[in-house]
Amino acid sequence: MELKVGIVGCGNIFNLAHKGALKSIEGIKVAACMDIDAARAKEGAKALGAKAFTSLDEFLDTDVDVVEVLTPTYTHADIVIQALKAGKHVIVEKPIALTVEEGEKMIETAEKEGLHLFVGHVRRFDKRWVQMKDVIKKRNILPMHIRKAEVQNLPFPKDYWYWDEKRSGGVAVDLGVHVTDFLRWFFESDPISVYAVGKSIKEEARANETFDHFMMIIKFEGGKTGIAEVSWAYPYPSRYGVFYHHVDIIGKNGRIRYTPLDTPVVGVAKANFEMPRFSPLLSTFPDAFERELRHFFRCIKGKEDPVVTAEDALIALKIAEKAKESSRKGEVVEI
Amino acid sequence: MKKLNFGIISYAHPHALRYASVIASGKRSKLVAISGDGSNCDVAKVEAKKYGARFYRNYEELLKDDNVEAVYIAIETHRHKEIAIRAAEEGKNILLEKPIALNTKDADEVIKAAEKAGIKLMLPFNPRFTETLQKAKEMIEKGEIGALEYIQTISENVKPPIFLQGLDMSWFLDPEKSGGGGFMDTAPHGIDSLLWLTGDVPKKVYADIGSKIYGFPVDDIGTAVLEFKNGVLAVLTAGWGNPKGYSYGLEIKYYLVGREGFLDVRTAYPDFTVYQEKAEKIYWDRPDVRNIVETFTQAVLKDKPVPITGEVAKKNLEIVLAAYESSRENKTVRL
Repeated sequence: MELKVGIVGCGNIFNLAHKGALKSIEGIKVAACMDIDAARAKEGAKALGAKAFTSLDEFLDTDVDVVEVLTPTYTHADIVIQALKAGKHVIVEKPIALTVEEGEKMIETAEKEGLHLFVGHVRRFDKRWVQMKDVIKKRNILPMHIRKAEVQNLPFPKDYWYWDEKRSGGVAVDLGVHVTDFLRWFFESDPISVYAVGKSIKEEARANETFDHFMMIIKFEGGKTGIAEVSWAYPYPSRYGVFYHHVDIIGKNGRIRYTPLDTPVVGVAKANFEMPRFSPLLSTFPDAFERELRHFFRCIKGKEDPVVTAEDALIALKIAEKAKESSRKGEVVEI
Repeated sequence: MKKLNFGIISYAHPHALRYASVIASGKRSKLVAISGDGSNCDVAKVEAKKYGARFYRNYEELLKDDNVEAVYIAIETHRHKEIAIRAAEEGKNILLEKPIALNTKDADEVIKAAEKAGIKLMLPFNPRFTETLQKAKEMIEKGEIGALEYIQTISENVKPPIFLQGLDMSWFLDPEKSGGGGFMDTAPHGIDSLLWLTGDVPKKVYADIGSKIYGFPVDDIGTAVLEFKNGVLAVLTAGWGNPKGYSYGLEIKYYLVGREGFLDVRTAYPDFTVYQEKAEKIYWDRPDVRNIVETFTQAVLKDKPVPITGEVAKKNLEIVLAAYESSRENKTVRL
């Protein structure tokens, strides 16, 4: 059985990650591409041999089985719920939604309609972290203290939607959910409390009255401590587009560390310029998106069980939301 | 050239080994006496023979030795107060192992005794005496990375004391004697470096400190979030976080993020790596202890102020104790 797939949102993440992945996945056919920008819809449709739409209603009237929602975060809930009500399975980019409340409604709708809802927590499909998790298991590392940092210099101008907390949730949500989910995945424990501090470092952040640097200390059950650091404000030259991960896992039976120096990049040194590091990667390996989508499609076909669910995505968002509350109050918040 | 005659009181703290070697080989210092109080009396005796220093069974006898002008006190922390006060009364200048005392009241008594006797009292915190951090501070002060915003540091992680061979380190696991475990053992170093790098003091602290790794009766690792008055945010991890096979005995790392750049201090001590059954880092220089001894020696000989006074060490202890309180109560503590 071939799945018919429709795309909503033919912007950044579509062009950088999903388009290439969809082309190489067997057993699916991208039949429709929708974007409110007609040129982008047309371009996306052309690349995948699909039909272009600018109207969501017309798009949902097609016979696609699965809808991929790749739009800005604040539009997720609305589009996902409409797609589910139109009888489509849904794969939505992370974060699941702008708020936990919206995320809950999405999950309720999927359950009511008896349809699949998946959230693109792509870190769970990144070879590095999958392998690391495997080593933790096989060597019985028993992690107790994990620091995970995801830092970059966000290359977008200050009027871009990422900088508007009402549209993206800010760095605490946008990158935050990656790290909160990572910690929960690695600890296999649930969070108890969070203390978070945010900073506005770049002009773009200050102009938008949002944070671009955010750290959380999350206490997990079993005395485990997660330290999450997410930043759009690291002063790297952003034209290199580098995105850095740091992982430091301290366990009862050992320690595992991953630093930017362990990232497969090409280091460049010039006499008048120090250490640019060209990375072929964005925040993750391109094939992680392919593995993620292939897995979700196989789940929809009933051939695999999901390794990450919409409920996992909701908890990741809940931790980030509680962290934002903590940073506003300046106090510890129970989760 | 006039040399300062040192006595070492106790080998309970393993730092005594390094200080003895540095003092004995110093251009302006001489090791003339050692007392065997507390743990590792046998080691103290062997060391006295090795350096040709007079061996005394207890510190009272050593303090009566008129040849001794200064003492380095490396006794169990709970005896710092008693011995530092007696040393001051006998007119000896004091280099006192950290932490200054078990509590701030005891610290006050030590400070008062030193003032009354008119002797020099200095505490040895290592990171600020390393060449890399001195360079980093210079670069920050020159404005090379713009306004300092964020510091992430491991300062410092060591292996737990049980892995040190040939020394009795059991008192480190007894909070009555040590005041705390891994965090108390190493965090004071990192905190001193943060006070020095920022030129400021924190207004608020949140921490998670616990017995997470080895199952000791004391904490083995902790992470503290320090919010400084001038807006700098610092996250400090310290403790016994390095497993037996970790390639560094001592780990000191800093990420110093400014508005226009960041400094990556990967190790405070220069090393090379030897690969055999495991990878081992060999430090080819440890300028910190030499700088500490020389700085203290010059301060005594030339009657100059010491860089790390009892007051600075007391402030440091207040922050460490506030971190413990925060961790116990799971709430922030204002300083």
